[in-house]
Amino acid sequence: MTKILYLLLISLPILISCKESGEESADLVNNKQWKFVREIKIDNISPTGLQTDGEYLWISDAKNNRVIKTDLDGSIVKEYPDIKRPMHLSIYNSKVYVPEYLTDKIKIINGDEIEEYPLKEKPDAPAGVFVNDSLIAVVDFYNHRIILQNENEVMIIGKEGHKKGELYYPTDVALVNDKIYVADAYNNRVQVFDYNGNVLKVIGAKDKINVATGIEVTDDNIFVTDFEGDRILIYDLYGKLIHIINEHLNKPTEISVSNNTMYVSNYAGSSISVIEQ
Amino acid sequence: MKPVIKMILIIFLLGISSTLAQSSEVKVRVDGLSCPFCAYGLEKKLNDLDGVESINIDFEEGLVVLQVTNSENISEEEIRTKIEKAGFTPREIVFSGKNEKPDKDD
Repeated sequence: MTKILYLLLISLPILISCKESGEESADLVNNKQWKFVREIKIDNISPTGLQTDGEYLWISDAKNNRVIKTDLDGSIVKEYPDIKRPMHLSIYNSKVYVPEYLTDKIKIINGDEIEEYPLKEKPDAPAGVFVNDSLIAVVDFYNHRIILQNENEVMIIGKEGHKKGELYYPTDVALVNDKIYVADAYNNRVQVFDYNGNVLKVIGAKDKINVATGIEVTDDNIFVTDFEGDRILIYDLYGKLIHIINEHLNKPTEISVSNNTMYVSNYAGSSISVIEQ
Repeated sequence: MKPVIKMILIIFLLGISSTLAQSSEVKVRVDGLSCPFCAYGLEKKLNDLDGVESINIDFEEGLVVLQVTNSENISEEEIRTKIEKAGFTPREIVFSGKNEKPDKDD
């Protein structure tokens, strides 16, 4: 009897551990709502940025120093040349904001015109941009920080490092519900800040992300690209991992979600993956 | 010296100096190039070097190829410093003539 009790006592932690692990994977399976539906080929283009307005795709073709606008089948509708290494894009009020990596400028595609956004603080290699009602956030890759600018002032978010609240070669940013979501690329995580620069949350630090290049935030979810791991990780807004997509991706750089459809730019695949909910 | 001979000599010497100033190639192996943001970031930093005409970076191979107007104006030390300041580790650097066949196994 003592032996049986002893065996039960030893096996209890193992049983609990198995249950927890089972719960986690079951949770991921139950949340498996996103499914790959098709691939849009964009031959000879290695996309570094992507946004959709639901009708068209806007793609950064850094290799060829241009931004292209395509229909949802990948046919080029319009080309915007002479943009020096365009990176992560942002669309706001029908204007497309383009960080020009080589010149440290933010260009605005407004119809047929290309304008320049007046930045008050100069970045060194702007990798991403996000624009909303009153703010513009610029990812300052080489200075390891986010430049947040409104009409009157500039705020600097983050500094170089690996600790909580510090950034290491960030590449993308999103402003949603008064929070700043940063793809902290070479710290392999996402960090969430308030507009005063206080860090609110670290997401994905234990999920073995290998270069978190792109981020998209919707009303319910945070989507992160794992560039080297060929994955998309989907979190809820509390930072809980709820789903991983690991098929039909080839060095993903950016995600854009519109009407329950996710578009992912594949840098090595010269393609856009279309994934639907 | 007759003016005609003088002129021929000047043209000949100009020809030589122009040949010497022809562009040549510098190939650099670099560790730590993981993504296009790194590759184009390194390109941005190397563009600051004098005489750089074009830069081709293959981040999957970790290979950087510079076309320079005159490789004598750029030292190996300068290139190493630029790459290190950009956050990467330079390995072997090979200076070669413009028409030399590139060899990825350098």
